[in-house]
Amino acid sequence: MNRMTTIPGIRSGFHPIHIVFIIILLSGLVAFPFVSGNRFYISLITEMMIYGLLAMSLDVLLGYTGLLSFMHNAYLGISAYVVGLFLIHVSPASFWLACLAGIAFTCVVALPVGWVQVRTGGLAFALLTLAFGMMFHTIVWKWYDVTGGDDGLMGMPNPDINLFGITIGNSGDPLVIYMFTLVIVTLCFFITRRIINSPFGAVLEAIRENESRAAFIGINVRKYKLLGWMLACLLAGIAGALFILYKGYIGPSTMSAFAGAGVLMMVLLGGMGSLWGPLAGAVFFIYIQDYISTMTEHWEIYLGLVVIFLVLFLPTGFAGLTDHIRRLRKE
Amino acid sequence: MSGTLGIIVDITLNSLVLGGVFLIVAIGLNIIYGLSRIMNMAHGALYAVGAYIGFSLVASGLNFFAALLIAPLIVGVIGLIIERTIIAPMRKRSMAYTLILTYGLMFFLDGSIKYIWGNKPRFIELPEFMQGTLPILGTDYPVFRLVTLLLIILIMGALMLFLNKTKIGIILRASSTIPEMVSCLGVNMSYVHMGAFVLGCVMAGLAGIIAGPLTTIDPLMGGEMLISSFVVIVIGGLGSLRGAVIAALLVGGVQTLAEFFITDLAMVIVYILMAVILAFMPRGLLGEGKFE
Repeated sequence: MNRMTTIPGIRSGFHPIHIVFIIILLSGLVAFPFVSGNRFYISLITEMMIYGLLAMSLDVLLGYTGLLSFMHNAYLGISAYVVGLFLIHVSPASFWLACLAGIAFTCVVALPVGWVQVRTGGLAFALLTLAFGMMFHTIVWKWYDVTGGDDGLMGMPNPDINLFGITIGNSGDPLVIYMFTLVIVTLCFFITRRIINSPFGAVLEAIRENESRAAFIGINVRKYKLLGWMLACLLAGIAGALFILYKGYIGPSTMSAFAGAGVLMMVLLGGMGSLWGPLAGAVFFIYIQDYISTMTEHWEIYLGLVVIFLVLFLPTGFAGLTDHIRRLRKE
Repeated sequence: MSGTLGIIVDITLNSLVLGGVFLIVAIGLNIIYGLSRIMNMAHGALYAVGAYIGFSLVASGLNFFAALLIAPLIVGVIGLIIERTIIAPMRKRSMAYTLILTYGLMFFLDGSIKYIWGNKPRFIELPEFMQGTLPILGTDYPVFRLVTLLLIILIMGALMLFLNKTKIGIILRASSTIPEMVSCLGVNMSYVHMGAFVLGCVMAGLAGIIAGPLTTIDPLMGGEMLISSFVVIVIGGLGSLRGAVIAALLVGGVQTLAEFFITDLAMVIVYILMAVILAFMPRGLLGEGKFE
């Protein structure tokens, strides 16, 4: 974790090259479905973006606050289940209300869990995320009457997406969901970046670098850790709402420890503490997973080996690589 | 059929057996953590490896008690290889990295188990004299569970003797309190860390083969045990051996009771217990403990 810490408020703007890059990337993503029209890639990119958002939310926790969550996907799952249940049982047409319910419920669940977790300190925090994550997984898995147990939640209706009274499209249409996801993930990225570059983000980084010093200068460490946790869970909740709209289905395997390790790996692959790194990590990971899982059923062994390899030899991920290159060029 | 007294005896003994298995796994974790500040996420997987190796040894015609000695040693050797190749180079890095590293190791081991032994549940065949039941206070209690309980007590006794009376044990305990001083006295700390890791792995393997006959052996057992042992050491206080004893018996008891009354969601009750204890005692029952 020796990367240069940014000074809050000073580097909040983008470098011109970055702006050009982001514009090219975004316009490429917007144009892609009209150019290619390949259904498979459209849904694959949607999945990449959703997991990218989840990985980014974990990065807020791991890379900026220095707290490790083994099962961040549990909060994606909770939100997805609630959105699905809301659409099935309460109101099949209210799109925004369902999303709001899912995200709000995720936060309501995350608050007491986070409150207990931040009181225990760094290592116990990590162990507890795993314990609570497994608890949610067990509940979803065994509570057959509500969640459908092993079969997952099926038969979700596809509501229309309305904005200011104008119908944009139906959420069952992959193209509509692709665009919707793109807009939401982009918004989330810029908002999160803004939050991280604010004094609030600087406080989180101070806690990551040295918790006791942060406490000495009068920062309420527990409060800020909890705020960081809530921000991460909020983003995971948004990712969860997108996830169920995109898949139309959710099963307990999405909330398993194995899937949680996948999210952790996306962050590692991309590099902690860079926000864009985990997005890139998610793109790479989803692509590789899709590729390898068609070839072998023992994907678990490879996942483990890659994680070990990454930690041993490339602990800074993709983001670290660019730093390396920049440093080499300067010399 | 057994009456109320029988049910009480049943539940008490079951709690002790379950708590005892938790204890052995959790103590292994605590030894590693207390000595080298590494939280071994692969501990549950090593426990499962112990159970599977025990199964294979017994299935190949070896005596159960011989397997009880050999399986933990094999797990210990696996632990030695792991420690020397990937854990030792990581010592100077921050805790998050070793957590993630051993988490990756867990998936590697779990995947290897599925690759070698498959997804099918397995059972350790017990020697004939352990298959019957023994009447105790109005209930017929399985003999092998009593033997398990006896074994757990023996193992804990041996461990206590080892830590308190032998020179190596004393070095280990001293290293957990003042590693710098022990190092100054000419003890190679690298070997101490190695010894602690291997000892922890042996404990995991032992717990695996002991628990094998109690439950079915399947690829999920490692993950479940990992979570349970985390709950135990977090409730007891990280690194605290005495705390682990109390917490293991507590969690074993609560889980047995919960399983008796509501079956499916028993673990949820345990998590709630943990949350309540941590809400009032954030450092666990006995606090970030000394290793004694």
